Amino acid sequence: MRLTPLYEQRLATARLLHRFNFGPTPGQYKDLLARGLEATQSTVLVHGRHDPGIGTIKELVLGDLGNSPSGNNAAKSNAFWKRIEKDSTDLVMWWLDRMVAAHFPLTERMTWFWHGHWATSISAVTYPLTMKKQNSTLRSHAMSNFEAMAQEMVVDGALNVWLNNNENYVQAPNENLAREFMELMTLGVNRYTQNDVAAAALALTGYSTDQSNGTVTFNPKEHFSVPLGILGATGVFNGESLAKLVVSRNDNVQFITDRLWFRFVSGSTTPPASLAGSFAKRDISSLVSALVHSSAWTDPANALVKSPVEWFVGACRALKVRPSTLNAGDTQWLLSQMGQVPFNPPNVGGWTYGEAWLNGVAFQYRFELAQNIVAKGDLAPLSVQPLNMVQACADWLGVAEWSGRTANALTLALATPSELALAAILSPEYMVSA
Amino acid sequence: MINCEFDRRRFLQWMGASLFAAMTAQLSLESLASAASDSPLAAKTPILVLVTLYGGNDGLNTVVPFTDPHYERARSNIALSHSQLIPFTDSLAFNSSMPSISALYKRRKVAIVQGVSYPNPNLSHFSSMAIWQSASLTGLSSGWIGRWLDQQPHSPFNAIGVGSTLPPAFVGVKSVASMVDVGGIQLPSGPVASVLPRLGHSSSSDVALEAAAASSITDLFSTAHRIGPHIPKSPTGSWIGQQLSLVSALINANVPTRVWEVNLSSFDTHTGEQGDQNALLAEVDAAIGAFMAKISEGSRSTDVTVMIYSEFGRRVQSNASDGTDHGTSAPVLLIGNRVKGGLYEEQPPLKHLDVNGNLKVTTDFRAVYGGLLHDVLATPVSDIIPSWNKALSVH
Repeated sequence: MRLTPLYEQRLATARLLHRFNFGPTPGQYKDLLARGLEATQSTVLVHGRHDPGIGTIKELVLGDLGNSPSGNNAAKSNAFWKRIEKDSTDLVMWWLDRMVAAHFPLTERMTWFWHGHWATSISAVTYPLTMKKQNSTLRSHAMSNFEAMAQEMVVDGALNVWLNNNENYVQAPNENLAREFMELMTLGVNRYTQNDVAAAALALTGYSTDQSNGTVTFNPKEHFSVPLGILGATGVFNGESLAKLVVSRNDNVQFITDRLWFRFVSGSTTPPASLAGSFAKRDISSLVSALVHSSAWTDPANALVKSPVEWFVGACRALKVRPSTLNAGDTQWLLSQMGQVPFNPPNVGGWTYGEAWLNGVAFQYRFELAQNIVAKGDLAPLSVQPLNMVQACADWLGVAEWSGRTANALTLALATPSELALAAILSPEYMVSA
Repeated sequence: MINCEFDRRRFLQWMGASLFAAMTAQLSLESLASAASDSPLAAKTPILVLVTLYGGNDGLNTVVPFTDPHYERARSNIALSHSQLIPFTDSLAFNSSMPSISALYKRRKVAIVQGVSYPNPNLSHFSSMAIWQSASLTGLSSGWIGRWLDQQPHSPFNAIGVGSTLPPAFVGVKSVASMVDVGGIQLPSGPVASVLPRLGHSSSSDVALEAAAASSITDLFSTAHRIGPHIPKSPTGSWIGQQLSLVSALINANVPTRVWEVNLSSFDTHTGEQGDQNALLAEVDAAIGAFMAKISEGSRSTDVTVMIYSEFGRRVQSNASDGTDHGTSAPVLLIGNRVKGGLYEEQPPLKHLDVNGNLKVTTDFRAVYGGLLHDVLATPVSDIIPSWNKALSVH
C-alpha cells in the first residue's frame, strides 16, 4: 500500500525516535531522514555520556521525613502529609523534566521501561525519597547488566515495602515478593513451582526496610540459613544468590527479550528466535541494540499505542515545554485520568498497553493536557508557507505520513498555528506509533 | 501502617468540584452516533453489571463457614467473631460488613455460587485475572465480553466500563467497549472543537490501532451526547458507590447498554486483613444496596443482574501478619430481582485442602459465565468461550 522505500525510511525513523527516544526534538526527524537509517540507529542508541540537556535540570534533593506523626496533633499531621504531597509532585515533575530535556533520552526511556517492569507504587510505599532511591537504582542499571539489576532490586527498599517483604518471617513466610520476583520480573508465569515460591520466600527472610528512607538492613539471625531447594538447585540462599540463580535460567532470557519486544516493538507479533542470543550474557545494551538494528521497523504489523506519559513527553519535547512549567496539579490529575502517573502504577503488573489506552473518556483529558502544552509551546516549526504547513507538521512531530482524514482536518486549522499543533498531537497518527 | 492513597480520590479532593464541568453545547452533529445506536434499550432487555474486586477477595471472610472448627483453627488471628457475622444457614454467615447484601439474600435476590475458580489455580494475580477476563485457560488475548461485542452491530454503547482504562474483559478482537468516568464528560471547546470530530473519521490508510484511536474520538462525542445529560452532577460516597450510582442512573435513563463494569482494588490483604477487608466489603455492600434500591424504583427492575467476583480467594491458613496469602476458589455473588436466590454448587471443605493448603475448586467459573451468556446476553456459550458449553443458570 504505502510501502515505498521513502515511506519505509520515514516509518522506521519515526518509530525508532518515538519508541527509544520519546520522540524527536524540532528539526531532528528531518535531519535524520537526510542522514539515513544507520545514523538514526546510532543516534537513538547514544547513552552513558554527559547529557547537557539533563544538566539543565536541578537535582532534586528529598529529605527523610521519618514516621508519620502519631497521636492527635492535627497540625503536625497535616504538615507531614502536605510535605509528602509536595515531595511526590516534585518527584514526578523532576522525572518528566528529565525525559523531556534529555539530548540522549535512551537512559531515561529505559529507566521508564524498567519502572513499568519492576512496577512499584508510591500508593503503598508512601515516601517519595524511597521511590527516588529505586529510580536511581533502575537508572544506574538501565542499560547495563540484568543480573546486577536483579540482585540489587530484589533487596530494593521500595520494592520490599510494596511486596510485603517487611512482613516475611521464617516462622510465617509472606510469599508476595518471592512470587512476583519470579513471575513478573525475572522468569514469567508457570516457569517455577509453588514449592519454588515457598522456598524463595524463605531465602528472602531477614531483610527489613526503613520505609521512610528505603534503607534495607540484613539481619542474619532473622534469615532462614538452612539449605533450600529452589528451581533444582540446593543451597543456602539470600536475596543476592537467589537473584543470581533465577537470572541464570534460560527462561530469564526468553522472558526479558519477550518483555522488551512487547513494549518496544509490538503487542501482536513475537520476536525472532535470534534476538535471544543478544541477551545471552544478560547485557541489556546489546539486547536494545539488537532491537534497534532489527528488521522489525518497516513491518506494518509492528504498531504500538503510545502510553499517556510517552505521548505527553513526546509532545513536550516537540513543543519545547518543560513539564514543571505547567501547573503540576493539573498535569498529574490529567495524567491520572488518562491512567498513567509515574511512580504510581496500578499494580505490580505495571501499566496496560495497546487499545486499552484508546477510549473516548480518556480523550477528553488528553485534549485538556494537549491544550496546556500548546499554550506554552514553541510553534516556530510552523512558520512556513500555509501550503507547506501540514507537511511541516508531520516532519516536526515525526509522523511518517498523515492520512487523508487528518490532512483534511489539519487544513481546516491552518489559519491558527496553535490549533494546528493541537489537532496534530491529538491525531490518531500521533497517539499511535503506527 | 500509614498509607498515602495517592490516587483518583485524593486527586478529586485536591481539584474540587471545578472538574465536574457541565457539558458544552458545541456538539458536532455530523459526529453523533447513528439513530439506531442512539435509541433507548428495548423494554425487557436483560442487562449485566460486572463488579470486579481486584487483588483477590478472601471468600472465607465474605461468606463464612463459621461453624466449621477448622475455620477458627486455621485463622485464629483473623477469624470473624460471632458479633461480626450475619448467619443465614446453620453453617454459613455473611460478614457483618454486608448488611444490605444479607437483606437481599433473605429476599431471595442473591445467588451464591460456591467454590468458584478455574482448573489448577496458579495463585498469580495476573494470570488468574487474565483467565477470568478472557474466559480462556490458554491465554486468548481478547476478553469474553469483547468477543460478545465483536458479534454485535457497532455502537459505542453496547458495553461500558466506568473509569478511564478498559478492563481486558472488554477488549475484543475487532471491537472495544467504551468508558465513562464518574466525573462526567467534558467535550473539547473553543475553535478547534469543530476540527476534532473530523479526526475521528475513519481512513483507508489507518492501521488497526490508528482506526481504534480515531473511533475513540468519535465515541467521546457520541457518548457525551447520549449519556452526558444523565450523569449525576456531584458524585458523593465511596468510589465504588459513585461508580454504581452512575450505572444505575444510566440504566434508568434507558441508555442502550447491555453490559457494565465497575471495580474496586486493594483486596490483596497480605497484612492486617480484617480491618481492610471489612471496610472494603462495607463499601461494596452499601453501594450494592443503594444500586438495587434505585434499580428497583425504575423501569428496569427485573432486567438487571449483578455479578461480584475476584481473581481468586485466599489461603485458608492466615499468616503471621494478620493477613492471608494468595489462594484459589471463592464464592461468586449474583444479584438481581430476577435472580433465583440461594446457594449453588458445593462449599469446598476446609479440612480437605489441595497440596498448597488451598481450597479445592468445586465450580468452574466458565459455568457461571455460561449461565450469564445464556440467560442475560442470549448468546450461545460456545460462541464466546472456547471448547465450553456448560451453563449454570441462576435465573
